[in-house]
Amino acid sequence: MINPQELTQAALAAIAQAHTEDELAAIEVDYLGRKNGRVSNLLSGIGKLPSAERAVLGQAANEAKRAIEAALAGRRRELTDARLADLAETEAIDITFPGPALGRGRIHVLTQVQRQIESVLESLGYKVELGPEVETEWYNFEALNIPPGHPARESWDSFYFTPDLLLRAHTSPVQIRAMQRIKEPPIYIITPGRCYRRDPPEATRLPYFSQVEGLAVDKALTVGDMKGTLLYMIQSLYGEDRRVRVRPSYFPFTEPSFEFDVSCGICAGAGCKSCRYKGWLEVGGCGMVHPQVLRNGGIDPEKWNGYAWGFGIERMAMLKHDVEDIRLFYESDLRFLEQF
Amino acid sequence: MKISYEWLGDFVDLNGVTPKEAADVLTRLGVEVESLTAVDLSEIIVGRVIEQVKHPKSRTPLWIHQVDLGDRTEQIIAGAPNAVPGSLVPVALPGTTVPNGKLVKDLNIAGFSAKGMLCSAEELMLGEDHSGILILDAGKPGDPLTTVIPNQAVMDAEVTSNRPDCMGHMGVARELAAGLDRPMKVDFMPAFTGKADPPGRDLIDVSIDDPDLCSRYIGGAITGVKAGPSPKWIQRRLRACGVRPINNIVDITNYVLLEYAQPLHAFDLAKLSGGQVHVRRARAGEKLLCLDGIERELTPDMLVIADADKPVAIAGVIGGEETAVTEATTEVLLESATFNGPSVRQTARAFGLRTEASARFEKGLPAELALAGARRAAALIAELAGGAVHREWADVYPQPQEPVRIRLKPWLVDEVLGVHVPLDDSEAILVRLGFHVRVLGDGEWDVLPPVFRLDVTIPEDLVEEVGRVYGYDRVPPTLPGRRHDKWTPAVPSQGRRLDAARQVLTGAGFTETWNPALVSGRLLEQLRVGARALRVSNALSDDMDTLRTSLLPSLVNVVALNRDRGRTEVKVYEIAAAFLAHVGDKTTQQPEEPLRLGVVADAGTTAESGRKAFYAMKSVLDGCVRELGAPPGTYQRAAAEMFHPGRCAAVFLDARQLGYLGELHPSVLTGANVEGRLVAMEIDLEPVLDAAGVKRAQTLPRFPAIERDLAVVVEEHVAAGALLATIKEAGSDILDSALPFDEYRGAQVPEGHKSVAFALTFRSPERTLTDAEVDEVMAEIKLALQKKHSAGFRT
Repeated sequence: MINPQELTQAALAAIAQAHTEDELAAIEVDYLGRKNGRVSNLLSGIGKLPSAERAVLGQAANEAKRAIEAALAGRRRELTDARLADLAETEAIDITFPGPALGRGRIHVLTQVQRQIESVLESLGYKVELGPEVETEWYNFEALNIPPGHPARESWDSFYFTPDLLLRAHTSPVQIRAMQRIKEPPIYIITPGRCYRRDPPEATRLPYFSQVEGLAVDKALTVGDMKGTLLYMIQSLYGEDRRVRVRPSYFPFTEPSFEFDVSCGICAGAGCKSCRYKGWLEVGGCGMVHPQVLRNGGIDPEKWNGYAWGFGIERMAMLKHDVEDIRLFYESDLRFLEQF
Repeated sequence: MKISYEWLGDFVDLNGVTPKEAADVLTRLGVEVESLTAVDLSEIIVGRVIEQVKHPKSRTPLWIHQVDLGDRTEQIIAGAPNAVPGSLVPVALPGTTVPNGKLVKDLNIAGFSAKGMLCSAEELMLGEDHSGILILDAGKPGDPLTTVIPNQAVMDAEVTSNRPDCMGHMGVARELAAGLDRPMKVDFMPAFTGKADPPGRDLIDVSIDDPDLCSRYIGGAITGVKAGPSPKWIQRRLRACGVRPINNIVDITNYVLLEYAQPLHAFDLAKLSGGQVHVRRARAGEKLLCLDGIERELTPDMLVIADADKPVAIAGVIGGEETAVTEATTEVLLESATFNGPSVRQTARAFGLRTEASARFEKGLPAELALAGARRAAALIAELAGGAVHREWADVYPQPQEPVRIRLKPWLVDEVLGVHVPLDDSEAILVRLGFHVRVLGDGEWDVLPPVFRLDVTIPEDLVEEVGRVYGYDRVPPTLPGRRHDKWTPAVPSQGRRLDAARQVLTGAGFTETWNPALVSGRLLEQLRVGARALRVSNALSDDMDTLRTSLLPSLVNVVALNRDRGRTEVKVYEIAAAFLAHVGDKTTQQPEEPLRLGVVADAGTTAESGRKAFYAMKSVLDGCVRELGAPPGTYQRAAAEMFHPGRCAAVFLDARQLGYLGELHPSVLTGANVEGRLVAMEIDLEPVLDAAGVKRAQTLPRFPAIERDLAVVVEEHVAAGALLATIKEAGSDILDSALPFDEYRGAQVPEGHKSVAFALTFRSPERTLTDAEVDEVMAEIKLALQKKHSAGFRT
């Protein structure tokens, strides 16, 4: 008959000498296995013993089991700790080695900038409106107060297909279409889209470009509201320290009309090389919607008024990302597009 | 337009206002000064040449001058011979930097010392003439040159097309006067009239055929003039504005053009046949030798000035050589007319000739301006060329300019600007700009704009006048807001919805491009996608003469460009409209502009790599459609222009065809100089967006699935899609999914056959399936495949 205490001692000794998980697992099976484990075997003849001895042996066997289990757990913890302790040496890698290429493509920088502009204006309640790129003379010019022979037509030299069909020179036709569709103000819309003018390609302008125009028609809007909207937009896109100024200008579809400038981000308006010592960067045009243009959109100028503005998405992207040549946006050189 | 600061000083007191300050005021008022060139003459002094001798030794001709500088005499050497003894000349002493940047040094030239420099107009930046020394017509030796010629500053300004009055110095000065709140020194309408007999209108007979094209024609007769060079100050001012001096008469017409913005022309009256001026359309075949020496053929849509026989000028554009004023001229007909803007522009465009005159007439000049300009020019001619101006000029003016009166509710100023401008300020501003304001009993204003301001017609125009002088900087920025009782709910924009597809493409390694919509029509023809193309009638060049009917040609060119620049793998896409003209009798309508997704990717060089790329492209499309929220599309074998005939699928969403997907035709790649293979697709996006719905959650399966593979051997022509349809039909409702995953040819598969492997998943939402149940369904599937496709099976 084997003494439970001796058995325990033997097990503890074996556990203390074990150096791997596998050895411990073998010891566990050897002593604690349900079928042929040595502790179980202790109890194999227990049925023949008198009840008093049976109780003593049962208790001793349980104690042995607990002691062995505790020793196993302890030794396991020691082995784990030891293994984790030298991870720094055994599994060290060169963390300066670069990761593999992600293999992702890019979204075009103009899409990104357009979306940023849309987000800012959507936060003010403006909604995106779209319209056709091939327009009629009426929507592109006449509805905007630019009748045939008007001297301002020079500024919008356009590509024609027939005497009445042309590529839109601005997204303003979408404003007319939106007014006609919505009919009753309030109208707060933005009109992103491609436009075309018959200017030969150069570093600062292209015969094709993209605009975002905005239009607000409501009751009692003011030049101050227009300035505030532009300032909110510019500060949201370029930072709170930017300022906006409006300068009188002329467009047939607004009265009064303005150009709007943004303070130079480098010199903050003092004048530097990047703003050609002007302190300001020209961004776009704006103004209070001409009463005749409201009428052409089916809106009664006695009851409502409005303001509108427009600028090139490329221009905004150039200012934001220091792009010096507008042609890069449409050349589709991946070395450029992958920078954004 | 070039604006001389000195000239502005004729009209408004600029004391204490620097050129820079004046430029800033003008910019704030709407005359945008783009650059300012200042010329400081204060270091240059006046000298008088006492003696001039040729340098005895120098090989290049040089002249040695003794120059009286008031308190002393210096020896100065120059290369031009025109500073003869007695001449007054500008002198720069050693150590001075002349305005064009040259530093003057103490020199010794072949034994003769030179203590300074005699300056040309170019060196002083007073013009482009560098042929000789600038000879002064006044000045005292030793005095600063600024006693004769004031410091110069020239602004380059952009005048908006509604303000032709600002295409002259007087108009610009009026703006400046209003901005500075200083009075104008000169009235708009000069008081000058001619006095000589006989009346001018007896000397010339003026007639206008079409008053719509010429609303006024003033012909002023001036006799006994003496043509010759004009005074230095006129020449200097013309040069500053980029106009070349010719003779006093011509210079005066140009001078008044630059001053009043009224173009004028001077004819040699003696050369006008029949003493007639006839403003008429040109006759077919007529020609005119113009002042620039070019003979131009005239067409009947052009307006000309003719004498009894022939055209003598192209109205509003350029005069004729034959009747021009020369040194021999003694009698002048001074033309001051008002020509129709669009007509002048059309003619100028037809000749590709934009003159100072046409640039002004194009904008539409007021007829009242013609008289002011004529009087100013006549006065100058009388003063500077010694002529006798005849009284009662010919002045054909059938419909005098109607004054426009505007009813202004003066509180409109505050309402529109969003800032309070006191009524007195508003009124004062309008008056400074030349408006007459009468306050009516009800508080409204009756406003009469000055005759030269045809652009002001409605109350909002007056608000602008007040606003720009009051200063828009003084309008505080605000955000609009009032209680709205009507609104439209927010919906994501089309662009934002399409970003879901952009995300898929980005993740799959595709980069977005924006390519020009104008492409070469010839290229579209070559690719046989030009049938419904819209051609530009006034293209800039033939590589941008047509609107694209497909995004793919641009994308193929993008691949070619990036390959050229060393990129091996190119995967690009674009989301943009294609343009399809209507056919038949609707060709003049706006075209269809389907919004498309075009995608192009490298497909390696082998048939096998092309096949794989084709399936990868399908995954990209399926991914996009799925992320856009639409049900999956289906594919049918198809043939399409630009695509490989054996590797092209038409894509459908329900019954609607979205477009094509496939390998590009080898000839397309050859045409674009691209080697290897490309796989592409072009899809209409609007139907996909229309079909989009909200994704609904599916209950997660509670019971395990049983998976089976099935290798189906069929003849080559049988499509996996057809097998899949049969499997699904036969699979009963416990077939959860079926997916072809491999295609095999070779051992165990007969010639002309292929083996297509499917992964089948069986599952019931109600219980755990048994193998026996699945075996039963598998048997049915096999039976159906055998029946329908004569399929065999590999184990």
